[in-house]
Parts: sequence; C-alpha cells; structure tokens
Amino acid sequence: MTNDQLYGLLTGILFGFLLQKGRVLRYDKQIGALRMLDMTIVKFMMSAIVVGMVGTYLLVDLGLAKLSIKPMITGAIVIGGLLFGIGWGLFGYCPGTSMGAVGEGRLDGLWGIAGMVAGAALFAEVFPLLKNTVLKWGDFGKITLPQVLGVNHWFVIIPFVILTLLLFRWLEKKGL
Amino acid sequence: MEKNKDPGAWNPYLAGALAGLVSVGSVWFTGKYFGASTTFVRGAGYVEQMIDPARVKQLEYFVSTKPVIDWQWMFVVGILIGSFIAAISSGSFRIQAVPDMWQKRFGGGLVKRGLVAFVGGTIAMFGARLADG
Repeated sequence: MTNDQLYGLLTGILFGFLLQKGRVLRYDKQIGALRMLDMTIVKFMMSAIVVGMVGTYLLVDLGLAKLSIKPMITGAIVIGGLLFGIGWGLFGYCPGTSMGAVGEGRLDGLWGIAGMVAGAALFAEVFPLLKNTVLKWGDFGKITLPQVLGVNHWFVIIPFVILTLLLFRWLEKKGL
Repeated sequence: MEKNKDPGAWNPYLAGALAGLVSVGSVWFTGKYFGASTTFVRGAGYVEQMIDPARVKQLEYFVSTKPVIDWQWMFVVGILIGSFIAAISSGSFRIQAVPDMWQKRFGGGLVKRGLVAFVGGTIAMFGARLADG
C-alpha cells in the first residue's frame, strides 16, 4: 500500500467511526431530515462544515494548505443538484454514507452502491454530449464567495458561523 | 423522543465537529479534501474493464479519471471499516435490508426496496458527477 492509500484508509476509518457514532448513516435519519422530522444530519453536517471552514482557512492563512476550488458551472450544478436530490430521496443514502451504512449492517446500501457504479458508467458514456452543452452553461470558473463579494474571507466565515449557531438554537427550541 | 432508546449515540454536534477536525487534519497533513463520488467512477471503470477493456480506453471520462486505487478509494473503504468498528464496539450493528421507515410506508419487500435504491443510486451519482461533487 502506498502512503497515499494508507492515509486515505486511516482518514476514512476515523470519519466512518464518527459518522456511525453521530447516527447519520441510517435511512431513517437521512429521509427523516428530508421530511423535516429529525435534524440529526443537519446538526452533524453543519458542525463539520463550520469547524472545517474555520480550520481550513486558518491553515490557508498560515500558508499550510491550499484551497481546492471547484468551478462554478451554474447549469451543471443546478441540474446535477436537482438530480442528486431526487436520487438521494429514493436511495436514502449519499455516496459516502452508503458505505458507512453497509458497515453497520444496512444491506440495502449495497443496491444503491451498485446503482451508483451504474450511474457513473452512464455519465462516462454521455460525457462527450454534456461536455459542450450542460457543462458549459453559466461557467464562471473557479470562484469563491469572498472573491465575488470583494471582501476578506473572514467577513464571510464569521457571519456564516453565527447564522449556523442561530440555526442550532432554533432547532433545539423546536425539538427537532 | 427516541434519544434514550439509542444509548451508544454521540451528540451529533460533537461527532460532527470532530469530523470537521478530521477533515482539517487531512488537509493539513496530506493536502487531501474529503470526497467520495470520484471513487464510483473509478469503480465503474474497473467493472467495465472486466467486460470491455477497449471501451474504457475509448471513453474520455475514464481516461481522465482512470480506474486506479487512490487516496479517495481507500478513504471510501475506510468509511465502511470505521462504521463497522463503531457499530460493533457499541452493540449497534444490525443486519437490516429494509429500513424501518421504508417498511412502515412501503412494506418489507426486498425487491421493491432494492429496485428503488438501485435507481436512486444511479440518478444520485449521475447528478453528483454532473455537478462535479
């Protein structure tokens, strides 16, 4: 095993352990969030995003890390996001959590994993058609919110953290 | 309401914040950002290679995302192992092929659940790849 593979494995084990402990791997939790009945996943996800956002930008400011920015291709992101949502609602797991779900014994994850491999194969088949159409619609390149707003990134991060904490308080009040 | 029925569960804010720390550590020490869906492209490439290797070499998408086992592939495998360790060590591992909420609404049929999960997975991955997520 190469070092890269070993680090990937160890990181995945830690992440999978926490996903299971946080109870976000289950169909009932994922569909529960989409049905606005149980916000466990939202709590887990937003906590991870806030900590990840602050930590990653600290590393960037200290010159210890580089951002990996995806291009803002509006057409592809909007259509892709809508399809992803439909698929997620049917399957009940997302790509990463489906593996974790199988790890805790939820065997229906395997059907969807097979489906995701099929979906990736299908995408590879039609990619030449998409390349010059959907994947070009509204392409703004690799941009970030602070860049578009023309402000230092902490002027986006700090309000985001505050809004997330307010969301958490509201969720707790509502008993979600 | 259900919180007391599940004693092995951690507070989701804590587990989520720790997951965020793991992602920061990953970026710090190895420069790797979390992701999963590219691995399914590599997986599809492996499967197709067994059936029709010439086709895989032809398809531009498999040429740029080759069927190789990289950091993310092992990360995705690690998620399964980590979840298994957490589930076994807390006694919450449970073999279940039809989720409770599904069963209440659609019944316990394996084929129905399997078919919808497969189609859902196909659509979700197509969308994820389109959005480059």
